[in-house]
Amino acid sequence: MPPLPERFSLLPRAETAALFQTARGVVRGGEFLAASARLAALLPTGMPAGSTVLNLCEDRLSFALGFAAAMIAGFRSALSSDHSPARARDLATRLGAAAILSEAAIGESAAPPAPWRTITVDPATLLTGATEAREQVPNPEIAGETPAAEVFTSGSTGEPVAHRKTWGALHARSLAAASRFELGASDAGADGPVSVVGTVPPQHMYGFETTILLAFHCPVTVWCGPTFFPHDIAAALAAMPAPRLLITTPLQLRALLDAALPLPPLALVISATAPLAPDLAARAEARWQTRVAEIFGATEAGSIASRMTTSGEIWEAYPGLRLAAAAEGAAADGTTADGVVSVTAPYAGTVALADALELLTPARFRLLGRRSDVVKLGGKRASLAALTRILTAIEGVEDGVFVAPGDLDAEPTARLLAFVVAPGREPGEILAALRREIDPIFLPRRVIPLPRLPRNAFGKLSAAHLAALAGPPASS
Amino acid sequence: MPKRYEPYRSRPWESMNQPDTIPDTIPFAAPPLALEAEVARLIVTVLHLENKPEEIDPEAPLFGEGLGLDSIDALELALAISREYGIELKSDDERNRRIFASLRALAAHIGAARVR
Repeated sequence: MPPLPERFSLLPRAETAALFQTARGVVRGGEFLAASARLAALLPTGMPAGSTVLNLCEDRLSFALGFAAAMIAGFRSALSSDHSPARARDLATRLGAAAILSEAAIGESAAPPAPWRTITVDPATLLTGATEAREQVPNPEIAGETPAAEVFTSGSTGEPVAHRKTWGALHARSLAAASRFELGASDAGADGPVSVVGTVPPQHMYGFETTILLAFHCPVTVWCGPTFFPHDIAAALAAMPAPRLLITTPLQLRALLDAALPLPPLALVISATAPLAPDLAARAEARWQTRVAEIFGATEAGSIASRMTTSGEIWEAYPGLRLAAAAEGAAADGTTADGVVSVTAPYAGTVALADALELLTPARFRLLGRRSDVVKLGGKRASLAALTRILTAIEGVEDGVFVAPGDLDAEPTARLLAFVVAPGREPGEILAALRREIDPIFLPRRVIPLPRLPRNAFGKLSAAHLAALAGPPASS
Repeated sequence: MPKRYEPYRSRPWESMNQPDTIPDTIPFAAPPLALEAEVARLIVTVLHLENKPEEIDPEAPLFGEGLGLDSIDALELALAISREYGIELKSDDERNRRIFASLRALAAHIGAARVR
């Protein structure tokens, strides 16, 4: 049954609540709303309902101001991890975007003039003005079914696919995460807000939920500063008061462990985007005297479950979600329906997951692995079939295939391979042609020329045969 | 007047295609060729590249066009540089773009900043 229409404040936290922390200091609820309203006033007016704003801001505070400004002005935010100027402009064109928000000009194409407004987000100016003006700050009550964000992933054709997020769904998921990880119910709690240091971009669904939306809905203070290198993460944690929560990925967790920098006490570490090896989690728990949790999620469904990595392989669904095995033959992409599970959540409808799950109870499951040909690198997804189509469309390529090595999920330096039949073309030329079409993370590390591909009588390629041709992984 | 808030770049190596606003007043001195070859070997070993170290064009960009490294490589490379030379890379270092611009620039930075 659909829930009754409800409204949720843009910012349910107090005017004095510490939302974000930068190297300059803390940004509180009241000044954040006032600064967002100032930014909202810069957005175009008279746009049709449901128009989008493409938010490319990499700085978390800039991003959060842009997101709140869009909500205040009645826009939905488009989130894409692909920030190359050409592809950002393509996406803005496709969306008929009203504006592009970024910290630096993305370089307009010469002519004709872009139909969107390009806005450079400068938190210092927005916040300074907001503190001086002390104007009445808007804190709109937003209907739960209002679309708040369109989060883009690359689809099986290579074109970006939008996943719509309503304000009610985002609100409910923040509260579910707060309950699961015991983040507290209000800023008046005994320990004060939880300090969150996140290393994932705000345009990524996991980063959006944990480092932007948690600050809107839960008593947390989110660090806004660089968190890429281990040194950045250590400095950010040291700048924040206890209790501290580190939100990261297996790659960065391993890098932080290897760097062996001194860290202040960590209450909890959360990892997502790829499976975390239990021994890595155990090392982190021993070194930092903390607990390591993992979130399972997907762009289309958001975060849906968690587990304590060293306590076993069973995942527990977030409260308020319903998981159900999909009916026979439900997989739209033609893959087997075994393990197909759909998730139903308030204001989010029902979505089928791309990973195969074995449901033990309606709230507990085991992850069986990926169901389709989707590979994941650096938190981004691509379809091997789509990559292969791009490869074989290159001039001079007679046949070809993209292959994922077996250690792709576990080995940080592992990348895709491509086999090609392209007489008269150099592997370097093929790589250059691919570079124009696909995200760098999915470029093959090796382009292996062959006189022909080892296809069987039915034209199918044997994975084992291809693996043999590739030779041992470079890492061994 | 508070200090201007400087938005950070979450991908510090990735700005090579954009206009460089940092005045290039102190060019890196060319590194000794031996160090350049050593850093080339480090890159190939750490990232499991197929290239031979001597095939890396010392002037070509490491990221994007050129050697074609990506974000995960940047993290791996930073770890190796820290381990081998005791240099801690930070995102707010304004020189990052130049440090990662090419093998020659990276070797020059290591030569100047190494503590072991």
